[in-house]
Amino acid sequence: MKRAIEFRLNGQAVHVEARGGQTLLELLRQELGLNGVKEGCGAGECGACTVIVDGQALTSCIFPALEVEGASVTTIEGLAAPDGTLHPVQEAFVRNGAVQCGFCTPGQILSAKALLDLNPHPSEEQIRTALEGNLCRCTGYQQIIEAVKAAAEDQP
Amino acid sequence: MSLPSQVGLSLARRGGLERVTGACLFGVDLAQPGDLHLFALRAGSGPARIQRLDLAAARAYPGVVAVFTAADIPGINRVGIIAKVKDQPILAEGQTRYPGDAVALIAAESLTAARAAARLARLELEPLPAVSDPRQALLPGAPKVGEAGNLLWEARVRKGDPDGALARAAVVVTNTYTTSKAEHAAIEPEGGRAWWQDGLVVVRASTQNPHHDRHDLARLLGLPEEGVRVIQAETGGGFGGKLDLGLQGFLALAAWHLKRPVVMTYTREESLAATAKRHGLVMEYTSAADEQGRLLLCQAEIFGDSGVYASYGPAVCVRAAVHASGPYRVPHVEAHSRLVYTNNAWCGAMRGFGVPQVALAHEGQMDELAQRLGLDPLEMRIINALRPGDETATGQRLGRSAGLVQCLEALRPHYGQWRREAARSEGQYLRGVGLGAMFYGIGNTAMSNPASARLEMDAEGRLCLFTGAAELGQGSDTVLCQIAAETLGWPAQDVRLVRGDTARTLNAGATSASRQTFISGNAVQLAAQGLRGLLLEQAAALLGAPPQDIALDHGGARAAGKGLPLADLLRGLQERGVVVQAVGDYDPPTTPLDPASGQGVPYPTYAFAAQAALVEVDADSGLTRVPQVAAAHDVGRAMNPRAVEAQIKGGVVMGLGYALMEEYTPRCSNLHQYHIPTIADAPRIVPIIVESDDEAGPFGAKGVGEPALIPTAPAVAGGLAQALGRRLFDQPFSLERIMAALMEGRKTERQKDEAGS
Ligand code: FES
Ligand code: FES
Repeated sequence: MKRAIEFRLNGQAVHVEARGGQTLLELLRQELGLNGVKEGCGAGECGACTVIVDGQALTSCIFPALEVEGASVTTIEGLAAPDGTLHPVQEAFVRNGAVQCGFCTPGQILSAKALLDLNPHPSEEQIRTALEGNLCRCTGYQQIIEAVKAAAEDQP
Repeated sequence: MSLPSQVGLSLARRGGLERVTGACLFGVDLAQPGDLHLFALRAGSGPARIQRLDLAAARAYPGVVAVFTAADIPGINRVGIIAKVKDQPILAEGQTRYPGDAVALIAAESLTAARAAARLARLELEPLPAVSDPRQALLPGAPKVGEAGNLLWEARVRKGDPDGALARAAVVVTNTYTTSKAEHAAIEPEGGRAWWQDGLVVVRASTQNPHHDRHDLARLLGLPEEGVRVIQAETGGGFGGKLDLGLQGFLALAAWHLKRPVVMTYTREESLAATAKRHGLVMEYTSAADEQGRLLLCQAEIFGDSGVYASYGPAVCVRAAVHASGPYRVPHVEAHSRLVYTNNAWCGAMRGFGVPQVALAHEGQMDELAQRLGLDPLEMRIINALRPGDETATGQRLGRSAGLVQCLEALRPHYGQWRREAARSEGQYLRGVGLGAMFYGIGNTAMSNPASARLEMDAEGRLCLFTGAAELGQGSDTVLCQIAAETLGWPAQDVRLVRGDTARTLNAGATSASRQTFISGNAVQLAAQGLRGLLLEQAAALLGAPPQDIALDHGGARAAGKGLPLADLLRGLQERGVVVQAVGDYDPPTTPLDPASGQGVPYPTYAFAAQAALVEVDADSGLTRVPQVAAAHDVGRAMNPRAVEAQIKGGVVMGLGYALMEEYTPRCSNLHQYHIPTIADAPRIVPIIVESDDEAGPFGAKGVGEPALIPTAPAVAGGLAQALGRRLFDQPFSLERIMAALMEGRKTERQKDEAGS
């Protein structure tokens, strides 16, 4: 079953056909060509596929595509300003060495952004809780925590 | 304007920008419209004889373009990273050895069609006798798994007079340690794309070893090596799991037959079911010391299961024996290590090649000996630490770069403070502080393992480094450019890089064994010296000064008050028709090990490290946390301190997972059964860099990738032993095992109370 859906993707209105049973991850990667959203497990376990839907960070690999009808979706491609200026969280990840292989990075950054949008000055515990679903096998996480703290400090 | 030293600078990681914007395409991101999708039909059970494999319905499924079996492989259907034991068919021939074996490869217009077609394949398997216990695999009459018998490999190290030493010892400790299999769990699963271009099969995939891939792919396809080009895709972590030739074989086979672009990715399930694991080992140790705590003896019997294929098993087997007695002066050593084929999931390289396993044993023994002698575990290690000029168990004399004592001393303040805190702890939380120390030989064991690199400078003075060294996230791109830049006096950020492409870069060997900073680093340095030589020669001619009196950097050359802009220098070379490029080749000096005694020089140098961990156990629930770890690493010299610290932190957390939670079984179908640490588990880590200026390393550097992980689990084990009042000998130290130890402890206490009342 296919259905036409309409939603906002990185600030732009999109109209696309989605299938029942299709995940948001599949829709974004296969139909819309957004490769910044990664698949690490396909089972809601690793967070590599994190996107923000209506302000909430969620794992797109288990989120039905049809449910984004009318919603506002942000992926890693939508974070930097049109002129290429990085979002403060992106900037902080680069500056704090929070990126190693980088495969988990888009998901980490989006979880961090969703947190900071809601809670601009989180405690370390709150950062750990918000990012608990984003696995990283490379960094040991400490630099990620530092990056989120640094991004928080940069905020007004 | 003079440039600051380009090594020792914490330059930002190359490629960081693409990774935070989502622009970076990894091996799993390469699909393009019109590509064919590949899907491997796996046996699902085994060992078994293939009675029938009827693929007619699968072939007829709409969208299916081709279905391949072993019969379609034009060359040799055996791959393997170690030349002597290439034993793995990429598609089964008549029989399967274990459930993960692939029996057919389907190429279709969509992945959905390929999967649907796979379900239509009629595969009838007749079970064959299996052997899953490695001890039984060695018994006469055991089902034969290895093509040349079930003993895959055996290694011995023997030094001094072990029997005599036992008789003279003041304390002797005998224990058996076990470890389980572990999964690499790089967050990017395996993925890649292949196509046919200008008469070549081109494969672009996640890999740690592009040149080896080309070799095995050419063999598989019956082509000369020049018939295959392998390009390393941006790779989302490896940890040893992307050393084996995995889906590259499928990609190349399909692209060669179909002359069309094909893509393939493993799902996490497939990655867990069908790729290599870390070896689980059983390690029986007897260790002895004199009254002053000086080690006299280490006897180690190491035995492990390789599963159905050899992969890097021989390297793990030998390395485990060579490192069995740990980073200590031990005059009498007897280590015997064996790996055996079984019908279990196969094992290969994983960050540390057997050393994380033996470190659990040799460090457990150090703690137990210290306890028996009434010595502090830190003092016990300092007394015995290998120092410059000492001899290792293989009789190798260490050079000046052996900084274990400095590492241990650097831990002292943290260790002391945590010990005091732990001693004060009472009530619900049981605390302990443990130590782990290690040494790790840089590069492959006792064999040639060269790397080459090339540098080129264009007419504008732009420097480009060509290296085959695979970047996996650890930072070799950045560090190798820093080494080139420093040698030449160029800014590292301006160095351009071509990496991991068999058509454009020379063989650098595998990114494994913590070897690229040291071995490729030396090759890059040699190339840079060669290029510098060309520039100096030209400058000498133009300035009329001898080369040794000339100062040269990216600004140009100067001698005796005269300056020569770089542009003039390069123009001069161009006019003479000189191509400004140079190649560096480096092969670390090693000697083969004597087969009976294991004596020899297996590595050019060793990394040393020590870590301390504070461990906290909730006495009611058994829940265990490691809030703090201090990690001191002798890296020779840190080329990029922040990158070194990043390796240390990542290694500690991987080591923590190994200690507390990671255990692969065939039931682990995804990451909810195979747990790896989350941000909530991550300790506060204090990385401490110790520099000892290695004689042979580029600018004194060694390696750190694997050493980062090795001491962590032993340190956690020590902390747990203190917290629980008893040592756990079986890794992982899971909640169940910790609970059992707590219950045991309560029982003993009750018995004591009862006896006392
Ligand atoms: S891919 Fe979605 S959580 Fe792992
Ligand atoms: S940076 Fe590699 S998984 Fe996080």
